[in-house]
Parts: sequence; structure tokens; C-alpha cells
Amino acid sequence: MTASRMLVRDWRGGELGILMAALVLAVALVSGISAFTARLQGALEQESHRFLAADRVVRSAEALPESWLEEAAGRGLAVAQTLSFPSMVYVGEEGMVLASVKAVSAAYPLRGVLRYSAEPFGEVREAGAGPGRGEVWLDSRLFPLLGVAIGDSVAVGDAEFRVTAAARTEPDQSASFLSFGPRVLMHYADLAATRVVQPGSRVEYRQLFAGPATVLDAFVDWLEPQLGDRQRLLSVDSAQPRLGRALERAERFLLLAGSLGVVLAGVAIALAARRFSERHTDYVAIMKSLGATAGVIGWLYGRSLLLLGGVATALGCALGWALQAGFFALFADQLPVQPGPSGWRPYGIGTLTALVCLLSFAWPPLRRLSQASPLRVLRRDMPLEQRRSLRDYAVGLLAVTGLMWWYSRDLLLTGAVLAGLGVTVGLGLVLALTLLRGGRLVGMSAGSIWRLALAGLQRRGAANAVQVVIFAMAIMLLLVLVLVRTSLIDTWQTQLPADAPNHFLINIAPEDVQGVEQALRRAEIDSAPLYPMIRGRAMAVNGSELPRRDETEEGPRQREANLTWSEDLPEGNQLLAGEWWPPGSDSAEVSVEEEFAQRMGLTLGDRVTFLVGARSLEATVSSIRAVDWQSFNPNFWLVFPPRLLNDFPATFMTSFHLAAEDKSFLNGFIRDFPTVTVIEMDVVIDQVRGIVDQVSAAVELVLLVILAAGALVLVAGVQASVDARMHESAILRALGAPRRLLLGGLLIEFAALGLFAGLLAVVGAELSVFILQEQAMDLRYAPSPWLWPLGLSAGVLLIGGLGTWSCRRAVSSPPLAVLREL
Amino acid sequence: MIKVDNLHKRVPMAGGELEILKGITLEIKSGESVAIVGASGSGKSTLLGLLAGLDDVSSGRVVIDGTELSALDEDARALFRGQRVGFVFQSFQLLPALTALENVMLPLELQGQRQAQRDARTFLERVGLGERMHHYPRQLSGGEQQRVAIARAFAARPDILFADEPTGNLDTATGARVIELLFELNREEATTLVLVTHDLGLAERCETCLRLDSGRLVEEG
Repeated sequence: MTASRMLVRDWRGGELGILMAALVLAVALVSGISAFTARLQGALEQESHRFLAADRVVRSAEALPESWLEEAAGRGLAVAQTLSFPSMVYVGEEGMVLASVKAVSAAYPLRGVLRYSAEPFGEVREAGAGPGRGEVWLDSRLFPLLGVAIGDSVAVGDAEFRVTAAARTEPDQSASFLSFGPRVLMHYADLAATRVVQPGSRVEYRQLFAGPATVLDAFVDWLEPQLGDRQRLLSVDSAQPRLGRALERAERFLLLAGSLGVVLAGVAIALAARRFSERHTDYVAIMKSLGATAGVIGWLYGRSLLLLGGVATALGCALGWALQAGFFALFADQLPVQPGPSGWRPYGIGTLTALVCLLSFAWPPLRRLSQASPLRVLRRDMPLEQRRSLRDYAVGLLAVTGLMWWYSRDLLLTGAVLAGLGVTVGLGLVLALTLLRGGRLVGMSAGSIWRLALAGLQRRGAANAVQVVIFAMAIMLLLVLVLVRTSLIDTWQTQLPADAPNHFLINIAPEDVQGVEQALRRAEIDSAPLYPMIRGRAMAVNGSELPRRDETEEGPRQREANLTWSEDLPEGNQLLAGEWWPPGSDSAEVSVEEEFAQRMGLTLGDRVTFLVGARSLEATVSSIRAVDWQSFNPNFWLVFPPRLLNDFPATFMTSFHLAAEDKSFLNGFIRDFPTVTVIEMDVVIDQVRGIVDQVSAAVELVLLVILAAGALVLVAGVQASVDARMHESAILRALGAPRRLLLGGLLIEFAALGLFAGLLAVVGAELSVFILQEQAMDLRYAPSPWLWPLGLSAGVLLIGGLGTWSCRRAVSSPPLAVLREL
Repeated sequence: MIKVDNLHKRVPMAGGELEILKGITLEIKSGESVAIVGASGSGKSTLLGLLAGLDDVSSGRVVIDGTELSALDEDARALFRGQRVGFVFQSFQLLPALTALENVMLPLELQGQRQAQRDARTFLERVGLGERMHHYPRQLSGGEQQRVAIARAFAARPDILFADEPTGNLDTATGARVIELLFELNREEATTLVLVTHDLGLAERCETCLRLDSGRLVEEG
């Protein structure tokens, strides 16, 4: 007899439906989520490339070889180039302002959007390309400073340009404070005519490249050996660490979600296989009575299983593909980014998952099937072989661990989930057995519905305990996901609150400090304190001079930095080592930011010599600080006691939030304080927030998929016990029990199981989330009191509802029909 | 020939051991028809199970045509059953997922016979179900299901046919027709027939009647 024939016959008989559905679900879930996350990651990566305006960028202070652009273009990559430099912009004889000029080629930007407005501070629009030949776009605040309007002419170096628009934002607008001065955008081809760029000028050349990942990687492999000391290759990570962090967390969440999907799928398969094997015990007995040996049975079921796996894998992959394609189609509006390709990996993962699940969850009960006694043909009342050996559990555990680890590539994440599951299972078995036994005493004096329910709970004590554990596992995994998602999104929102500072004022002269403060107060703008800022250069450590340059740019060398002073530890800073100085201190101390200290090789007690203007200043490192770079507050590497820097010439800076409708405030402000530099970060912050919103939407979507998977495990779990309950209910009905009694009994029985399961799930979930957040996701853990009512009510409602619903036929069909079927 | 020598069967119980068969010794000749009768719980079905090699003996021997069945392991007994033994059960024991034809083909397929379908068709026609070959067990009446089971039992051309209460689930008229069929095929195929029954009328049709009482053979004739 061939396996395929047996499979076809079993399929026709409706016996394979459950196992098949579970397998298809597992494969669809895993491949669907993998493909979904892969495509989303591709999309987000592309989105984050906006911050580079390209996929890769080469940056240099000297002209870059044209041949690189030609090579890249020859390989089919899109290319562009930019050149940034400070230069005076003139209007007639009087008007003259130092601006930050950026010349861009026609293809710029390769990623992201260039924005302009037809009038200064006017409505922002997207531009297809930068200024044309002979045109410039000026920063909005240059218009009042220079006294020009759209259509007027301005000069940069030797060339005259017509002002055609207000430059608002570029995708790669640097978020650092190093590019001062209002922006002037011009065409790359007009550079030569200006004659401002001479050898030795302070300029930054950039070559931009974009295209398919494989072509890009090959090009980078070709390019990298040719890069000189002062040429640096930039990718997204180096361009936007803040965003990189958010994406990394999101990726971890998606991996976590996928891993939980694998566990849920495994449980569903194990349940289905067990039910399948129970239902097949009689078949095997008959086949054995007809002469089939254990070997033949094993061989037959083994091959059937493989065949089934093959079909289920194909169907599951197709369904997984449809799932993620459906999601992207359905939520296309919410995800303005174009999803990337998923490749074959997700379907490979799906296939392997199916194989592992089959071997470790489905095979053990089927293998035992071949041990069924042929005597069952004479004695149908023989108990089913239900022993599950320790080896089965060990194999299952190993498979879950292996799959999760392989899938998430994160041992900590796997460990956290397993720890939670372990506690749930362990506590579950103890609690369930104890409580179910306790029910006997209470049950005796209870009313008839309760007595029926409690009797039901007890009769299937061991089976119920297993069921409670399975329900608890499913609910726990779902709770973990909900918890992590909530804290992830909360964290993002706290880091980027709606009123995050989005404008910075720098170069405030000491004599303007009061005026600026008054102007802000008059406009009812809530600003950060004014921080002094002194440009200084770290020259020597412990008396030995630092090298001027460093090959890797990462090691100790002379570095320019903004120095500030403060009486107190700045807000959002955390002291890692050493002590903060007492108020009024005038000792020569400095507090150093941890990464700066690391790069400069500084530890507590080191003496650092700074050059400020023409004067030198020596201070001892008295503390090391962690700074929240993800906040948009002014942050400093080096902080001194106020008295120490009192004598040095300082300018001041501050930051504040300005809503879009209040932006006209800047026009008057710039007129009143022409020397103050305004840095507008609002558009950049909006971009970051936009990406975070999209990632949040993705997280929610994946959560929905996993919730569906969890619900299916619950259904499979309930199904596993339906036969026995139906049988009993049918007998009770035959004996005259009213519908209400039976339904009430079933409802109470399942609700009680749900209550226990919810309780265990909450405990396990809290433990998992604690480990996950503190260790794996770098988020802060806080207990969630709302989890208890949520977990318990989810257990009661879901299990109670599902269970009663699944057994409804026991009370709606004639008892004889039910008894005959079972 | 079936030789049974001092056969015992004991099963573990909560309070100790329960002895179901207490030293049975008997002989059944090839081609003979034998009925085993007795009250419920007398050990009839247990004896049948041991004769057919469906269960392990506690002590004693069962020897069929020189093969000591009680010394074989389950796999070897399965092979023996496949080649030599056929069954008809009270509850028919058809696989619900298979059609009548497929149920009859099953033992032939397990033996690896190429003519499985042809032989199965022949036997289904012989039991009068030529028109219902593609029906599933649930679409057949009890009598029809038992006829499928008889066809399945004879299709593998066994030397010995074991029948456990073959009419137990059937009304009198249907039961009588099924018995006619069973004896007719038994005659035509020259099979040894061992059947367990409550039905004394059925028992009288057999050449030998063995009566069991509390695990002991009390009467033979």
C-alpha cells in the first residue's frame, strides 16, 4: 500500500484536516511574517536612506575622482554629487551674509525628497530636483537678512544668480551643529563660475550612490580598497544613529513576534498530531489485525507525514505570501514607503519550520501509533496509549529552542521567552492539579450546574491540567507581545514628544542673552535654559600631546568640541562614574561624556589640556556622564564648573519648540538679532517621527497576525477535548439533562480552565517581559497592573466562549446522532 | 491444526491479578468449524484473541500448523496473521475513511498483492455488494457492513477465520443471512472457522462447540 494512497483516503475521510490546517498555518505564519518583516525592513531601510539622500555616500574634503561616478553609473547605479562650503552671499554693495552653500547635481537627491516653498516661510512643497542653472534657493531667513524677494539677484563669488524659491529642507540636512549659517542651494554645474572653491578651501565633497543591494554591495567591494585616508564611506547607520536605534528595536520586536509565532505553530501541530493519532489508534489496530507489522505502520505513517508536510509547506508558503501581500495591499495607505523584495529566505524558513515541527511535534505521537495493540479490535474499551515519554518533551523543547534561536538569532531573547514558558508550564501543572483536586470538596455542596462543571473538571484532571498549560502558554505569548509592543511605542513617544525642541538658537552673544530671553518670553515660548558655549580644542592628556590626526578617526587625537559650564548635572544626563562638583566650586574639573571619554581614552583623574582661543586651560576628569542623544535637548561632551570658564569669551545657545503655525515669529526675531543663528530642525524631527509612526504601524500589524495564530492554538486546544465532552453531554442529554444545565456546566468548566490559564499566563508574561526589556530590548521594565485583569478576563472569555461554542453541537443535535459519530 | 496447551491469561488489577483463562487445553483440526460459547466475562473473547495472536499469553502454548504463536513477538504474529488469519468482528471494524472496495483491498495491499483490486471486486460481488463497492461504511446498513467485513476476511484467502460475535450487532433476519454467507464461503474456501457467540442456534451449526465458564473449558462437543 502506498503512503500517497493512504493519505488521499485519510484526506477524503476528513481525518487529516486538523493536522493539515495546523501545518499550513505554521508555515504560512512563519513564512508570512518573515516575508513581511523582510519587506518592511527593506522599506524602512530605504526610508532611512532618505537621511543620506542615497544608499551610500563617499565624503571627502578634497575633490573625488570622476571615474568612481562613471564606474557606478556603468554598473547601473544612480549617482549624484554635492559640494558644501561656507561662503559670503552678496546683494549689491551693502547686503552680505555668511551662508552655508550647497551645490547639487541634477539627480540629487537619490533618496528622500527636497522641499522648497514659493515664498520664505511659506507652504512647503516637494521638489523634483534642485535649482536649475543660474538659479539659487535661499533659506527663508536669508530673505529678511539680505532684503531680497523671489526674482531678485544675489551673488556667490564671481557669479550672479536669480532667487527662484526658498530652500526648506534637504533629506541629508545634517542634524549636527557643525554646518552653521543659512542654506543657499545652487546647481553643481554653476560652481566653476563662482570661483570660490580654491585648493585648501573648507569644503565637503560628496558622491551619492543608490541602487539594488547586490549591485551596490559589488560596487562597494570595488570602491573600498581605493578609498584614501580622508575619504569616508557612509551608510545609514553612520548617518542617523538615533533612527538606527529605533529600527533595531523594531526589528527585534518583529523577530520576537516571529519566534513566538513558531512556538504557537509548534503547539498547534503537536495538539493536532496528538488528536490525529488518537483517532487513528483503531485504524492501526485493524491494520495490525490484518497483518501489518509495527514497521509497516511506522513506514506508512512516516511517509504519509512527509507527503503531508510537502503539500502543507507548498500551501503554507502560498498562504504566507498571500498574507503579507494582502497586508501590504490593505495597509498601503498607512505605509507610504514601498515594500522591498522578500527574497526566498522566508519560504526557506517556512519549509524548514514545517520539517522540524513535523519531526519533533507530529512524529512522536504517530510513531507511538505503531505500538497500538491489535487487541483493540476485540476490546474497544482499551485505554488509549497516552503516555508521553520525557524524550518527547525534550525533543519538543529542543525544537522550540532551536527554531526560536535560529529564527531570532538571539540567545537572550530565546532564553527570556523560554524562561517565561518554563515558569508558566511548571506553575501551571502544580496549580492546575492542586486546584482541580480542591474542586472536589467545594463541588459536593454546590448547586447542580456547578457540580456538573466541577465533576467535569475533575474527571479529566490530568487532561485539563495539560489543557490549562497550553492555554496559558498561548495567552502568555500574546501578553508578552502586547506588553513589549506597548512599551516600545511608549518609549518612542516619550523620546519624541509632540513638544520636543525643534528649533535651536546658537551664537547668542553675551550682550544679547537678556534680549533673546525677553523675546522668547514675550512670544510665550517655553525654551530650555541658555547654555554657554565655548569652542575649545583638547590638546594633551596628562601632559603628553595628542596626535593631530588619527588614521581610524576613532582613537585619541586632538579634537574640537563645544565646552559649556553648569552648576548642576544637565537634565537628562546620568552620572556613570565620579562625582558632580559642589555648588560654587572653582576647582579645575571637567565632566566628560562616556563615548567621548572612550574615544579619547580618558578615565577619572586624567588631566586634560584644552586650547581655548589663544589660552590654555587644564582640568582633571572628575566625572563621566551618559547623555541621552536621542533627545533633542542641547547636549555637550564637556561640562566645566561655571567659575572655571567665567573669563573665557562665550556665546550662548538654547532650544525650544515652535509649532508650524507660529513660525512667522522667526522673521521678526531674525531682524532683531541678526547675529544669532537659528537652526530649524522641525522638518527633520517630523521625518524621524514619520518613520517611527510607520514602524509602530508595522508592529501593530504583526501583533494582529500573531493574535490570530494564538486564537487558532486556543481553538486547537479546545478541539482536543471536544470529543470526550460531547460524548458525556450526549449521554447526559439522553438521560434527560436540560440544555441549560449542560451549557451552563460547559461554560463554567471552560471558564474555570480559562481563569487558571490567564493567571499563569500573566505570571509567565511578566517574567519574560522583565528579562526581555531589561536585557534584550534595552527598555526599562515597569510592572503592568492592567495585565492582570486583561490576562484573566481574556482567559475566561476566550476559553469559556470558544469551549462552549465548540461543544454547542452536543446540545443542539439529537444525542443519538452525536453518540453514533463518536 | 490449532493446538492449545494449558493456556493461562492473567491481567494486573488494582487489588492484584485477575486470571481470565485458567489452563485451557484444546485442539482444532484444519477445516473444522468451532463455536466458543459462554456467559459474558467467561473469557470467550480473550481466548479468541490469544488463538488469533492478537495478545500475549501469560503461560501455556498456542501452536498453529507447527508454528508456536505464543513464542512469537508482535511483529512476527502480525506477519502470521496477514498470511494465515482472517477476522470478522461484532462491530465490523471497517475503516470509515475507506470505501467498501478499499476496505476489502486493505489486507491484500498490506500483503503487497498486485491484483488487490481485482480480487477485492470478486469477493464483494460474491457477498452481493457489487453495486455498492464505492460506498463508505456510514452509507451502508449494519448487515451490509458485516458483509464487507466478511469479504475482507476471505479476500486474503486465510487458512483460519476468527469471528467474534459476528451477528451481535444485527437483527435476527439480517444476522441469519450473514451467517449463511459466512458458512457458504467457509465451505467454498475450506477455511477453519473459530467463532465466539452467544447465539446457541449459530453454535449448533458448528461441528464443535466449546463452552467456557469462568475461564475454564467445561464442555466440548
